[in-house]
Amino acid sequence: MPDGFEERELVERAKQDPEAFGALYDRYFPQIYRFAYSRVRDQSLAEDVTSEVFFKALRNIKRYTYSGHPFSSWLYQITLNAVADHYRGQHGEVDLEEGASVPSGGPSVVDEVVRRDRSRRVWSAIDQLPRQQRAAMVLKFGEDRKIEEIAVILGKSSGAVKLLLHRGVERLRRELPQLEVELT
Amino acid sequence: MNDPELEELFADPAHREVVDLLKTTRPAAPPLDPHFRNYLRAKLMTEAQQTLQPRAARPWFSSLRPKVLAPAMAAVAAGFLVVLGVEIYLHREPSPELVSVSLPSSKTNVATAEPIVIRFSGPVDKNAVAETVVIEPATAVTKQWVGQSLVIIPDHPLAPNTTYSVSLKPTAIPPPPGPKTTTQPTPAVAPTPVVVRFTTVRAPVAPVVPPSFKSSNVRYAHDSRLADSGTVFSAGWTPTGQLLVSRPAGQPGLGSASPSAAASPAGPAAPRATTDVWLMSTLSTPIRLVVPGGSLPAAAPSGGLFAAWRSAPGNRATLDIWDLQGNLQSTVATVDGAPDRPAVWLDSDRIAYLDQGTLRVAGLHAAVDVPNLKVDHGSLAASATGQFLAVESADRSVVLDLTAGSAPRRLPDHATGFAWSSKGDLAFLIQQASGTDLWIGAGGVNAGRVASSPAGQTWSDLNWAPDAASLMLASKPAGAGSAASRLMLINADGSALTPFAAQQEYSSPQWASHGDFVLFTRQDEAGGRAFWLATTSPLDVDAAEKQALAEVEKFMQARLRRDIAAAQDGLDAQGRTAYEGGASTLLSPAGTQFDRYYPVTLQKTGSNPSKFLVGVRIFVSHSGAQPSFFEEQLTLVLRDQRYLVDAVKSTPTMLLSHGPTVLSVEVVQGSPEQQVRVRFDADLRSGTVTKDTILVTDADGKPVSSRITFDPDNHLATLTLKLKVGSTYQLAVTTGVADINGVSLAQEYDAPLVISR
Repeated sequence: MPDGFEERELVERAKQDPEAFGALYDRYFPQIYRFAYSRVRDQSLAEDVTSEVFFKALRNIKRYTYSGHPFSSWLYQITLNAVADHYRGQHGEVDLEEGASVPSGGPSVVDEVVRRDRSRRVWSAIDQLPRQQRAAMVLKFGEDRKIEEIAVILGKSSGAVKLLLHRGVERLRRELPQLEVELT
Repeated sequence: MNDPELEELFADPAHREVVDLLKTTRPAAPPLDPHFRNYLRAKLMTEAQQTLQPRAARPWFSSLRPKVLAPAMAAVAAGFLVVLGVEIYLHREPSPELVSVSLPSSKTNVATAEPIVIRFSGPVDKNAVAETVVIEPATAVTKQWVGQSLVIIPDHPLAPNTTYSVSLKPTAIPPPPGPKTTTQPTPAVAPTPVVVRFTTVRAPVAPVVPPSFKSSNVRYAHDSRLADSGTVFSAGWTPTGQLLVSRPAGQPGLGSASPSAAASPAGPAAPRATTDVWLMSTLSTPIRLVVPGGSLPAAAPSGGLFAAWRSAPGNRATLDIWDLQGNLQSTVATVDGAPDRPAVWLDSDRIAYLDQGTLRVAGLHAAVDVPNLKVDHGSLAASATGQFLAVESADRSVVLDLTAGSAPRRLPDHATGFAWSSKGDLAFLIQQASGTDLWIGAGGVNAGRVASSPAGQTWSDLNWAPDAASLMLASKPAGAGSAASRLMLINADGSALTPFAAQQEYSSPQWASHGDFVLFTRQDEAGGRAFWLATTSPLDVDAAEKQALAEVEKFMQARLRRDIAAAQDGLDAQGRTAYEGGASTLLSPAGTQFDRYYPVTLQKTGSNPSKFLVGVRIFVSHSGAQPSFFEEQLTLVLRDQRYLVDAVKSTPTMLLSHGPTVLSVEVVQGSPEQQVRVRFDADLRSGTVTKDTILVTDADGKPVSSRITFDPDNHLATLTLKLKVGSTYQLAVTTGVADINGVSLAQEYDAPLVISR
């Protein structure tokens, strides 16, 4: 992980220097693509989202001002918006937020995870979480982001992020015994 | 769990089990077409080339984080707290690691205590890199790594107005394993060192010896007691005409009365660890305490620094360098015992002192070797340029050439009482059985006896006048005490030995650099020794001269009030032609005002009593301030019972001061507000320190609402305002800030503020 000093320096250069922007791309492509994929679960769609993220970043980088958070936070925000735009365009606005539960229709969580190894099972369970819980869980446990940074990315308070994480973990805790049973 | 956030959030063991499971696993890598990554990059770069405008030079960027640098700054002299730097990307040398240097190459006006921050983009062999750093001229520095930044901190303030070069040779170590990116360093050694050159700020304007000043043409006007005996143990001038004094510890400051003389009669100055060093005005006002516990101060010839001794544990003493605001700059020496004399400056970057009686010279920027000389209580004096040091050692007196490093030049036996003039003449005394001989020689070479004391008199305490035309000395009957001592003036050629003051009891004279005061000591009624100031003035004038001066007064007053008719009335035809021809300016130009004047010289021309040359100094103010002065030499000729100005010559305008400069900027984190503290190097007009002259703007250029306070004693302006963490702001100190002379900041000071967490 680059230190903030170096990152800010690179970002400032990238406002003028294509090479520096290329360096930013090289640095952040893997995690943005991974994050995009975690949200859309489709390779082609993840590529579209990732492409959109970096083009938006390029077109807006001169307006970017350092806010004390890693540059990647900004890219994650763009990713979330891009994913949301995708869903709006494809499926209308979908609210998978509070109150949503693990889908009961179709293949159940258990049905899905039993086909995978332990790690995959847990992460697949996360995939089934409500949208913002899932984002918070991925960013925290998959990308090792700090809660404050996740709050910035999601546009929520740190307390709200903690609540999302708590609910996500609690949901997994409830599901895990069932998963273990299925495995045995 | 190893994540404090998660540990705090999930106390329930059941939750922790899930969290541990999540932390020990990772989602499977998503499927990725490698061609997509390259394809997208190519597309992005194509658009970037069209939309981004690369510059020929690397862009400026500012990002020194106060908090990160704080530990490094702590090593810098007190008062220099935070660096708000501007970084430039160097033209890339073959080195793949060097990213930036805090000082753009060829930058000028670099603060003398400014650290140099060198950023690297990747891992480097820190020890190897630090060892390759070379600073020229050779300077003692501390190298400290802060993350991937090498911070080079001068151990002492750099020499003013000096071009330094910093070279280093980056040496990378292999990058850690992981996906390679284009910015990762190549593990290689840069084939050529990277060199950055910068020039430090100019020293404050050197004191101006007025061109009209003629030490042979002054007299003792009146005197005043600087302080009662026992309340000042040592005193000396600063280049700007203030005094550095040692006072008993705990003395009151501004606005407090000094203890009475009777309360503490004292003998000759005795350096003690229980003294403080104060800056004092010629009005006997203690301006500020500058060195608590300090003693025996010695002001540097320029640069606003001085040296003072301080007691240290174990019966030792340190020789410290301070600025006149009371900020410790560095400690240059530690000696055993208690020093009994001030250090001697060699120009403004080296200093001579005695360590147990042995001569030592400390360089503020580089070590200085001197011969091993035992001096003890012998005389020690440095030439104005710092090139020569006259030393009276136990067995001989010599002149050391510290620039050439040549062998010491021997002076006549028993030469003592050294004094160097501003023009480089060395004067010294040789005591004879019948009296004292005065010797003078340029640079100490080919010195010759120029005068001898009258029979039965002995001379001591030589002190050159600022114009190097005459010396002042103390004269007393052989064997008599200081109560019989009086001050005498003598020309540099040994002529015109005249009393400066009729009174006895006077000794140890020190001319102020402007020639308007003489500091001396006087034995008081209780047998103690007090410091006094004598004010000088032109010699007495006869009736004709008084008449000429009266005409000058009338003429000048008319000019001050811009009464052109009355002013022209003081001119004869040639005088009018001279002013109209541009020899000088009769009335102040638009936007300025002749604020005041005074006569500085008066002399007859040959034997003609109807013609005088009168020198006047005229102060020019701008908007109520007095930033400059110039002088005129008026030729007055008697015409029809009146002395009229017949001719005029004028000098160029001279600044009274150089205007304030920003010494340091410090961002103090607070909640919910922060403070931005801006420290200046000079006394300021408080009215010029406002939210309009010192302001912080946000990224959009909008001023941030703030409250401002000003501490005049410490030259410290403090803005209290709310700044967002992580945001970038701009500090601007405008030229509206002016010193007490009304001289404005030379140019606007701008610095980025990055508020870090």
